[in-house]
Order: sequence, then structure tokens, then C-alpha cells
Amino acid sequence: MRIEEHPILSFKKGPKVRFTFDGKTYEGYEDEPIAAALHAAGVRTLGHSHKLGRPRGFYCAIGNCSSCLMVVNGEPNVRVCVEKLKDGMVVETQKGKGDLR
Amino acid sequence: MNRTASAVIIGGGISGVAIAYNLAKKGMKDVIVLEKGYLASGSTGRCGAGVRMQWGTELNCSFAKYSIEAFERANEELEYDGDIEFKQGGYLIVASTEKEEIQFKKNLEVQHRLGIPSKFLTPKEAKEIIPYMDESKITCATFCPKDGHLNPFKTTDAYAQAARRLGVEIMTYTTVTGIKTENGKISGVQTDKGFISTPIVVNAAGGYSKHIGELAGIDLPLYPERHQILVTEPVAPLQGPMYMSFSMNIYLQQCPEGSFIMGRGDADEPHDGNINSSWHFMEEMAKTTCELLPLLKKLNVVRQWAGLYCMSPDRQPLYGSVKELEGFYLACGYSGHGFMFGPATGIVMAETILGQPTTLPIHTLDKDRFARGEEVWEPSVV
Repeated sequence: MRIEEHPILSFKKGPKVRFTFDGKTYEGYEDEPIAAALHAAGVRTLGHSHKLGRPRGFYCAIGNCSSCLMVVNGEPNVRVCVEKLKDGMVVETQKGKGDLR
Repeated sequence: MNRTASAVIIGGGISGVAIAYNLAKKGMKDVIVLEKGYLASGSTGRCGAGVRMQWGTELNCSFAKYSIEAFERANEELEYDGDIEFKQGGYLIVASTEKEEIQFKKNLEVQHRLGIPSKFLTPKEAKEIIPYMDESKITCATFCPKDGHLNPFKTTDAYAQAARRLGVEIMTYTTVTGIKTENGKISGVQTDKGFISTPIVVNAAGGYSKHIGELAGIDLPLYPERHQILVTEPVAPLQGPMYMSFSMNIYLQQCPEGSFIMGRGDADEPHDGNINSSWHFMEEMAKTTCELLPLLKKLNVVRQWAGLYCMSPDRQPLYGSVKELEGFYLACGYSGHGFMFGPATGIVMAETILGQPTTLPIHTLDKDRFARGEEVWEPSVV
């Protein structure tokens, strides 16, 4: 599901692009948040809590809550709710805390 | 609420609760700690919480050594049901000027006399300890594997709980509004919650120690200096030791849960007690960190805060009694190392208040040393 109409915001749709999430290929629109593309594709689990490993989903959607940290193109701790989707991106579930090395 | 106490300690930071714990442990009854906010709400809870034996004076080295050995035992000794999170990952202090290098070599001599296991490192050897540092920015370093950092809130809580079990009363959200004296002696403390009759008052008020001195009519040669710290998002364990530079004005560590904490002060700011956070700090701190430890530029900052160093003229604490006012004791002026001296402060202050010989010598740390021209300068303060 994507938000197509919104009372205040307008969503410009970029060209269709392909990206991978945990090795599988998905489609989304260029420059939409990565999380929007994942949500539209039915991905609901974006991360896991540190202590108990419980699933964490789309939550604050404004880059504050750390619920959606993922590894994008090898970079850890990317907030996919505010990171724009580009063609060929490699998105992965982050296991544990981000590893800078 | 009008009441009586054998001793009133002003300040619910590490110093106050450690002094209270030691007094009670030595058998003193009716000890009260007054704290205007919550425990560790002042300098203790705002500090970088690094602890190091790598100092430049014998005095500071021995106070730090005593305290670090006490932190090692603290969970058991204080019977704490939590964990003070003492991480002894070592402390890497880097030099970037020739002057610093000369000082470091002198410091090592002092440290080695006291059996402190610190050592001299070339830039290449330092890089082996923190592989992502830019070693071209430094000329040498010293390292002590027993140094490290711990959680200041939990450490304060550990002492406070132990003190309470021994009968100490800790009154938080209680502000001292006056100190009453009679014929050159302490007779009581006025608070916003009532008066407490007492013959003994300990000034352990951190950044507010000068003000407490004023309430007692004692002029203390102290001033507050703002230091700021920022904390990043947590990442997987990356850095064992603390990293510090005096000349580049940085202390930096990775906490056990993964966040990096880094901070500095600005000695040229007005000494007005301001504890707001500034953009300037954020920018400059990030710049220095990215230059010295380039990998860390990938970290996102979560938040920042500020707190007060209580600066003394020679960067060493003011300990002990005050000859103009019987019953008034000082445990302040740590100039940025009050948290790491906490256990030593607790024991020597309790001993001196009870008229016992002190475990560590404090006779050179009285407030009148400045008037006598007998300052004991500490060269290695950041």
C-alpha cells in the first residue's frame, strides 16, 4: 500500500527502480523513502529490539525513533524512513547494533 | 520540619553519597545528604565518567589509584544489586606537541614510582590499540590498561543505596537556602523544607560549591566552567580504551551498550554557571573527532548536554576543614575529576571529619594553600 492522496502533502512519483532487500529483488519509485517501497512490497519487519530481538516495524516515519535502522549499500544505521530510494540499492536487515568496520 | 543531624552533607553527587556512606560505615548516626535535584543531577551525572591513574602529580595519581581499585570492588563491597558498569578498557592519552611529550615522560616517572602500569607508546603502537585513529596527528601516547570508565548514575546509586542501608537519610529536591553559624561554629542548615540543627556541614556541591561557601560566609577560590558532551547512536563494540588529548581538547569513549560519548570544555567562556548546550560545541567536537578518528564520522549524534567543572586555582581538590568556621568541611574544586576521585573522597573526608588519620594525605589540599603560595599544580587536566 502506498499513500496516493494526502490532504496536505503531494507525492511526486519518480521513475520505477529496482533494489534488493535481503537478497531479493523489489521495485519501488526513485526518491521515495526506502521504507515506503518496502511497505508497499509488504515488508512489515524493519528491525529488531537489541535485548529481546523482538520485531520492530514502521513507527515514527520521521527519522527519530531508530525502529527502522538498516544496512544500505553496506552502511549501517541508515534510517530507511527518511532515506531516498535509488536504483540498484542493496538494503539489508541490520543484525544487532550497526557495525562500522 | 525542624530536626537534628550529626552531619549534613550538601550535594547528592558521587562525593556526597560516598562521604555519607563512609561516615555511616564508621558508625556515625543521623547523617543527612541534601540534594537540590535528583541524585547525580549535577556534575556527577553529566560527566564523561572516565577514570585514569595517568596523572602528573603523585597526589592525583594516588587518589585515582585508590579510587580505581575501589571501583573494581564496588559491586561487591557496596552489595549493589545492579552493576556500576566499570569497563577497564584502558585509557589512551595522545600527545600532539613536543611540550606534551616532555610532560608525558615526566608523568610516567611519577606514575611508575607508585606502581601504576602505564607505558609510553609510539604513534604506531597507539594505532595498534585504536586501529582507526589517524596516527599522523600525534607524536606519542601513553596508555594504562587499568584505566577506563563506568556509569556515574549507577555508581552514585550504589553508594546511595549502601548509605541508606546504614541509616543515612538522603533528601532529594531539597535546596539549601542558608547556613547558620554561632561564634565561629556551624549550628545548622536552612533548607526550603525546614531547618536542620547540626554541628557539621560538608560542602560537596560540585559546580555550586562557591555559592554554598558564600552561604556560610566563606570565600572559596572556585569558579564553574561549562563542559559539553554529546552521545551518538549505539554501534557494535569498536573501541576498548578511552581516547584523550589535552592539546586538542577531547575525551572520547564507547560505552558498554555501544554509544560513543565525547566531550570538552572551553576555558575562555564566561564563568557564569551556564549549562545550556551549544551548536558551536557540536560542530567543533565533530570536527576534532573526525580528524583524529576518521571512522567515527559515520556515527549519528543522538543528543548533547552540558555540566559544570568546579575549577580551583591549581586544578586540585579542596579537602578538609576550614579554620575560620568550625564544623565546615570542603570536598569540592575537583576541576573535572571529582567523579573518578569519589571513593577516595568518601574515605578521606569521613576520616578527617571523625578526627582519624587519613588513608591518603590531604594536609596539602586545604583551602588556605593558595594564600600560603603552596599550590600543587596538576599539569594534565582536560
